[in-house]
Amino acid sequence: MNSIVIGRYIPGNSWIHRLDPRTKIILTFVYIMILLFANSWGTYLVATIFLAGVIYLTKQPLNLYWQGIKPILWLILFTVILQIFFTDGQPVLWQWRFIKVTLPGLINAIYVVIRFVLIILMSTIMTLTTPPTSIASALESLLGPLKKLKVPVAELALMLSIALRFVPLLMDETQKIMNAQKSRGMSFSTGGPIKRAKAVVPLLVPLFVGALQRALDLANAMEVRGFKDADHRTRYRILAYHRADYISGLMMVLFIIVFSLINLKGW
Amino acid sequence: MEKAITIKNLKYQYDQNQPLFDGLNLNIEQGQWVALVGHNGSGKSTLAKLILGLLVADEGEIAVLGQTLSEDSVDEIRGQIGMVFQNPDNQFVGATVADDVAFGLENLEVPSEAMSAKIQAALEVVGMEEFTDREPHHLSGGQKQRVALASVLALEPKIIILDEATAMLDPDGRQMVQATLKKLKQLYGSELTLITITHDMDEASLADRVVVVNDGQLVMDGQPNQVFAQGATLAKIGLELPFSMQLIQRLDPRPQNYMNQQELLAWLSPLNK
Repeated sequence: MNSIVIGRYIPGNSWIHRLDPRTKIILTFVYIMILLFANSWGTYLVATIFLAGVIYLTKQPLNLYWQGIKPILWLILFTVILQIFFTDGQPVLWQWRFIKVTLPGLINAIYVVIRFVLIILMSTIMTLTTPPTSIASALESLLGPLKKLKVPVAELALMLSIALRFVPLLMDETQKIMNAQKSRGMSFSTGGPIKRAKAVVPLLVPLFVGALQRALDLANAMEVRGFKDADHRTRYRILAYHRADYISGLMMVLFIIVFSLINLKGW
Repeated sequence: MEKAITIKNLKYQYDQNQPLFDGLNLNIEQGQWVALVGHNGSGKSTLAKLILGLLVADEGEIAVLGQTLSEDSVDEIRGQIGMVFQNPDNQFVGATVADDVAFGLENLEVPSEAMSAKIQAALEVVGMEEFTDREPHHLSGGQKQRVALASVLALEPKIIILDEATAMLDPDGRQMVQATLKKLKQLYGSELTLITITHDMDEASLADRVVVVNDGQLVMDGQPNQVFAQGATLAKIGLELPFSMQLIQRLDPRPQNYMNQQELLAWLSPLNK
């Protein structure tokens, strides 16, 4: 279960790690948006160079990023096949009945792969370098204006951070229950899909019962420590933009300018 | 001196036909270390929840530091009492050690600038100051319970209740937590009332006073050596004597009073020659 890289946080002290989580969320979002406008080799090249720079700054082994892409290889492959075989245009390189491979289709397929990989990598960088609770408090801060619309932003952020805190715990518990049942002859990996689905039920029941018990205990612990509601609280971790955040904002603006120029020229 | 906790004629039942407490009376002096012992289901944890207002009594009165527990006073009373629960994982609210200690301070609306110092101070008392940024799944059970204790200490309570706080720990963890409790008692003295709910009699022997609860009744109440002298009564309600006491009973000749392990060792060592 430790092989899942998406959403996992790796502690570190790199330049990217130290950025304000809001900066990382906004810039990741902007980068992905910009990427949707990419339509030429030149634009993909600058986007890739930019991403490579960011990866370098995270000081994490490249293998980690490869681990991040691996689980979605099938999805990429599927999209590529769709792109290759079902894009109209000239010149046609190969045809069999209604299935044909065209040059624009081939180019599009490559574009899609690059775009996919870039988006996944950029999001992986964000989650890899930002602790989940920081993401939660950044979202709380960024969604702050919604409070005026009576959206319980503070409660949602607290729920999110508690949920994230219990993920490893529930994973452990799942593993324990599975082991306990395996030791009594249960098999989770044999049989057809229906048999396997049935095997999950005796796993889920104790897991849910356990989770409910934890929730009750946690509610008691929170109440005893004076929790009343999420709004009337101060914050231990105050988010603040520093020089590095402004510099990275500036880098992003620079990237957007270069990207737009190349995009306009159609290189 | 004002009583830390006064319980008068407390009645409580989970379901209609089975009263758990039927007129319980108990006084706890300020600055005392009281061990509340009883076997599983004897009602000792329920009593803690009643004191904190997590459960509401059917009848009777509970007063904490002279203030009667009611819907209006419950928040204020909770501010005076800290509680550490049994399961180390289920009471860890924050994502890191520091965040967990901060949680209670945030609820009390302590200004952000003042928090770091308070967190650091509380963690130093329990000896966890080097683990500030550690995540809970990288801590042992004993360490998590000490963090829970620090979270409670940061709120500067007058009373701390530990509800089977060492029951899920391994022997090392248990010893660490018990050592921390002794240290707390030395540090705060009469400023802090400590109530440990336990069925571990070795832990109970650390207290100034042992109160034995069985089926919602107070069965025994006294200093550890007085209580442990009545081994037969304890055995009848399903409680084991502390290890040293079990050993004493098998000795002949044997010391007449209760002794803890160190005292017993000292008593035995001349015989070794």
